[in-house]
This record gives sequence, structure tokens and C-alpha cells, in this order.
Amino acid sequence: MAPSVNYHCPCLSSAATPPPPNLPSSSYSFHPLHTLYFCEECDAVRCNRCVSVEVSGYYCPNCLFEVPSASVRAEKNRCARNCFQCPHCRNTLSVVPSDPPDAGDLTSSTIQIGSIGEPPFFLYCNYCRWDSAEVGITFEKPTGLALQLQKTEDSAPDSLEFERLKEHFEPFLRASSLSASTSHLPSTSHAPHTHTNPITAAASSALARDIPGVGKYNPSLGRSGGPGGGGGRSGRDRTANKDEMPEYRSRVQIGGAGSGGDEDADLMRHLEVPAEIARLEQRWVSSWATSLQSKHLKPLRIPLHSKPTKRCPSCRHILIKPEQKAQSVKYKIKLVAANYLPAITAHLPHAQIPKRPVALKSSVTSSTGPPAAEEDTAEPTMVAGKTYPFQLALTNPLYDPIHVRLAVQRAPLPPQLQSQDTAGTTDKEKEKTRRPPFAVSLPTSAFPIAAFAEAWEYEDEEELFDEDGGLVDKSSPAKDRAGKGKTKTVGVLEKKANCTVVGGEVVIGREGRGDVKFNMLVSYTYRSDDPAPSDGGEGDVEPRSPTAPKAAPEMKTFSFFTVVDLGVIVPKDETKVE
Amino acid sequence: MTLQPPIYYTKAEYIETDTGNKVSRRAIIAGPQNIILGGKTIISSGSIIRGDLRRLGPGHAVVISLGRYCLLGEGCIVRPPYKTYRGNFNYYPMKVGDHVHIGANSVVEAATIGNHVQIGKNCVIGKFAIIKDCAKIADNTILPPNSVVPALAHFAGAPGQFIEDLAESTQELVEAQTKQYYNRFQALED
Repeated sequence: MAPSVNYHCPCLSSAATPPPPNLPSSSYSFHPLHTLYFCEECDAVRCNRCVSVEVSGYYCPNCLFEVPSASVRAEKNRCARNCFQCPHCRNTLSVVPSDPPDAGDLTSSTIQIGSIGEPPFFLYCNYCRWDSAEVGITFEKPTGLALQLQKTEDSAPDSLEFERLKEHFEPFLRASSLSASTSHLPSTSHAPHTHTNPITAAASSALARDIPGVGKYNPSLGRSGGPGGGGGRSGRDRTANKDEMPEYRSRVQIGGAGSGGDEDADLMRHLEVPAEIARLEQRWVSSWATSLQSKHLKPLRIPLHSKPTKRCPSCRHILIKPEQKAQSVKYKIKLVAANYLPAITAHLPHAQIPKRPVALKSSVTSSTGPPAAEEDTAEPTMVAGKTYPFQLALTNPLYDPIHVRLAVQRAPLPPQLQSQDTAGTTDKEKEKTRRPPFAVSLPTSAFPIAAFAEAWEYEDEEELFDEDGGLVDKSSPAKDRAGKGKTKTVGVLEKKANCTVVGGEVVIGREGRGDVKFNMLVSYTYRSDDPAPSDGGEGDVEPRSPTAPKAAPEMKTFSFFTVVDLGVIVPKDETKVE
Repeated sequence: MTLQPPIYYTKAEYIETDTGNKVSRRAIIAGPQNIILGGKTIISSGSIIRGDLRRLGPGHAVVISLGRYCLLGEGCIVRPPYKTYRGNFNYYPMKVGDHVHIGANSVVEAATIGNHVQIGKNCVIGKFAIIKDCAKIADNTILPPNSVVPALAHFAGAPGQFIEDLAESTQELVEAQTKQYYNRFQALED
């Protein structure tokens, strides 16, 4: 697995440090950079989990037709045109004419009939070869299929039941919306739910209850059951109030097809092949218990997809606003973290040997596609007990140069049993857990990264293995087993365009196991407004540096956490007892 | 991102045109006069492009057009789709956008493929499929004929089903990946 760097999103939690990376549950808070957003107002990273999402538009994924939001509700979130899904394989169905009547005389009749074809038309799945004639759905015209199916859909039992439910609740909702509009702010047009909080619902029902002596007391109203009232006080005359509603009697008795009645039991008894019964995932889409048999499965209208607008959860600033056209990939507003945070990629040079072109092979089966050259021929993992250099490439997306400082977070060790009598752990294992499995050394001083600019604007700055002393942090001699004659591995290695490569070293303990994952705090300082250049020394100061001689070059510091995953530790060949 | 190792190829194996296209000599290209390559496109060895399947009609016809920074993986087959319409059998032109990577051993007969599309290995894209921009088709996907992949969609499975919407910055990501791949694809002087 290639070494990766994921970024931490705090998701509005107030914890100062991210969770330790060796816990499996901490992977939820680390994301790759291209999935993150950045809120300029709050100066914070936002991820897909913490943003609030609204719908900006709907479209059908098959015909790519943009559906205005008004029709979406009317069409029950489905495509109103000719888009249907095969109930067996979920592929889109195509409209197909019936075969010409005279199948024997192919040459002349097919040419005349041509592409319009013969009615009746039906739906055909070109993946599993299902067609709608099996369920008896045919059409007169090849267009406007949804309209032609409208009548049958409307008379389906679930649709009728839904209509009755709506009629039942409507006067109740209208009455409570009147009372809500006088007291509350006007809520959205559809379904002004009075109270989603059960406490306030109970409070309002108690308030509206007819009490003798208060307001309009109407003792003639009989008692009624149903939800919304107070608890069951049988002695009290619980007269109807606005929040209680009459009982609802459904249209269809339970026990029809598909709900486990006698018909279904009979069906199961006479079952020949399991494929006769429709699978669960084919049946649970409908809100009604339909027949169990797979030959009764009807084609489904394709549900619409939506394009979301994403907002910051705390300040409501829009982060993503798509364009009107459904299939355009441009955005009116696009505040992605990749435009604000430096992109970091990690590499293990010892595992990257460029893939040589293979000798002329004729067979196609042995091809591997666009070759991922990393870790192809060399060992991809790290052996315990050795020291490996690794490189981090940081790319600056801003139009100003930045100064970056890295800090490795010491991960808290797994909790160890303090007492001597530990159940089942030997002394050696306790020692293992106490010592961290690996140690990472990174340059600790701040280093600059040049600003992002177009390619032709860069001066010739390409220098490999920058020999300037000020920015290099040599690793301690105790760990530097490679000897002093070798080119240094820790420190700024290369500065090219707007990318700086920094080297570090990881020393794997002899007893090390598991993944080499460590949290890294990245703080960078950038000029926000003033174009006056500043020295490197001022780089680490918090905003509003008081020692600035010129007219306030505002240096802002931003820091974020990342997790760097370099790979898995492979134990040495002499196997140690685990 | 500058640290990725180069991908070498034998210099003798690829023809490099003046617009930067790198076409393997072991690729089978039929009807090259009907094929348009956008520039800086890589056609790997073993791939088959059928530019000879052109529609009937006089004059010059473009059968297959590929955009810039495209990659056709090893062993992949690219064919224009065909249909019988009003009794006539015809091939229809196939248009592929920029920054499209098609994985190895895939069979692509789509009608249009948008920009920044990634198609995995061993895929089968059926006839007249329409793939919009920035879509990603996972490995081993079968897309039946006439299927439509909306923009920024991730499809997988057989038949290809919608899995998820990709991130909004996918366009920049794929563009950087394809350009970087082209820059890493270097000749090795033997």
C-alpha cells in the first residue's frame, strides 16, 4: 500500500488533538485532501460529514433531464419521462417495439416497418433480457410512458392508501398550521409540523385542552383516542383538542399478498426453484408489501438524483454551490481545502524503483494497465529493526510563499497493564507495548515554500539537495546508522517551483509491529493582505505581529493535523514469538 | 507529487508524434486516417483501435476522436458503436474527451465519453453508452448498452450501478494525475 497522508477534520469537536492513529476508530476523522472543504470565515477545515447539505437541483440520472423542484414533489422524486429500471438487475430499460407480425418474411417487412416499429411497445432490459410483457405492461406509443402508466399507478393499492392517509391528516395539519402561523415565525410552505419535540407537543396539547372554566369549553365533544393527547387518564373527560385526531381506518385489511398470509404460505409450499421468489432487495423499495413472486415484479421508475449545495455548519457560509446546468462540473462557489492547505504526499524512496519496460510479451493477459511503479519490485514494507528515510513533498497552493513547520505528535502508547500479575502476557510482550514501535525524526525548523505561479514565471530555482545550512536539521548521531558520509536524509531536500521536498527518517524498533502511522501537526504562516516581503524569522509569529516595522504585514498562521501512513512493519526473518 | 518514479518504455517501441502523442508500435490501429488524437495521448501496446469501421457515406469521416492527455491501457479495445436504423446498418462516431484514462483490457464501445473520465481495468462499456465528465468507472464493471453515467458519478458492478458521487475537486485531481502520468512516461534509451 502506498504511503498516504490524510488530513484531520475536527468535525466541530473541541478536542485539541486528533485521535491517535493506531486506533481503528480514528480513521473516520482523517480524510484525503481532495474530499475536504475550507471555510474562510471560520478558518477551519470541513469534511463531508460535518457540512450541512441542501438540494440545489434535481436531475434524472438516465435522461439527464433537469427537473424543476416543483415537479419533483408531484412526481414523487421519480423521473416523469421514459426512464424505468429493470426490477431484476436495476439496469435502465429501453423501449422496444414488438416484433413484426409476419416473422417469416423478414427481408421486406422489416425494412418497411423500420424504426418506428409496431405497437404495442414494451420495456426491455438488454442486460438480463427481462421484458415488461411478462408483467403485462405494454404501451401504445414509445414516448410519454410515465403518462401512460399514470392511471395504473394511481389505482394501485398503495397509492390509494396514501391518498386516504393524506386526506385524513390534512384538516388536522391545516388547523395546527393556522395556530402555528399566528404564534411562530412562518415556517416553510409544506407540512408546517407544529412540534417535532414531543415535550412541546405534549405541552401544546395540554394547553389546548378544553378545561372547564377556560376559554371555549365544549363538553359535547366526546372523547377520542389517538396520539397527541396526554397520558391515559381514564377518569378525566378528555375532550378533543386540536392536537388529537380521530382514528384512522385503513382501506385494505392486512393479510393480502406478500404480508405473510395464507396465499404466501401456499406459494412457499409449492415452490420449485428459489428464483421464483423475488429477492429482498428487489422488494423493499416499494412502500407496500407486494407479491412475493419474482414474475410479478414491476418495472420501477428511476429515482432522481440531486445536486447538493454545501454549507459550513457553524457560520452557514456556502462552501460548494453548483451551477444550474445539471451535468456541468463547474461550480459557482468552490471552497475546497486543496486551494488553501498545502498538499502533502509521502514517499518511501527505498521502495520506489522505476519500472523497467518489460521484454516483448505477446500475451494480453499479463498486462497490468497503467503501471503503478511504486513498490513494484522492491520490498513495499519496512522490516523491523531498520531505519528508512522517507520524503514528504509539500505543494503550496496559495499565491503567496508560506513557511511551514512540521511537528510529529507522539502517539500515546497503548494502555499497558500496570500490575505485575497480568493475565496471559509475558514479560517480553509488556516490554514491547511499553516501547513505541517506531521513532520518527523530521526537520523541526520552519522552511519556506514558494508561491504558486504559472509555469513560465518560475525562475531557475531547481536545486537538488539544498546545501544551505540554516534549514537543515541533522538527525541525532545515535540514530544515524548510515554514517556521516552519506547525503543527509533529514531536512529540506529539494525546492522546485511551488513544491518542497522534505526528508525525514523513521527508525523501526526491533520489536516493532503494526502500521507506521503518526500524527503530524503542520503549521504554516502566510501573508494575508500585505505584499511586503517578510523575513523567515517572523514566520512563526501569531497574527498581528507587534514587531512588524512596516504597515502591518498581516501574518496568519494556520495549523492542521495530518496522519502519515508509511506502511506496515514486517518482522524480521528470525521469527519472534508473538 | 514530483517524487513519483518515471514509467519507462523502450524508445524503439513507441512512435512519438510532433504533437506529443506516443503510440506503441505494437498497438493495432486500423484506419489511422479516421482517428484523431488530441495531443500528448498515450496508446499502449496491445491496444486495438478500429478506425476502419466508418459509417457509409462520401468524404472524410472521423470515426474515433480522442482528446489530450488520454491513456489507452494495454490490451484495450476501442470500437465505434453500430446500430441498424430503418433497415440500414451503420457505425456511429465515437468521441472521447480530454484527460481520459482507460484501463487495461477494457472494451469500450461507448458513443461519448466526457472529459476527466477514469475507466478501470477489464471493463466492458456497451454500445451507445454515454459517460459524462469526471465520471469514474471502477475495475471490472460491465455497462450495458445505452446506459448513461451522469457527471461525477462512480459506477461499479455488473450491470454498472451508481455507487456514489465523487468529490467536487475530482476534475483538478484527474487533470493533475493525467498530466503527471504523461510526464512520467519517459523513453528509456537502451
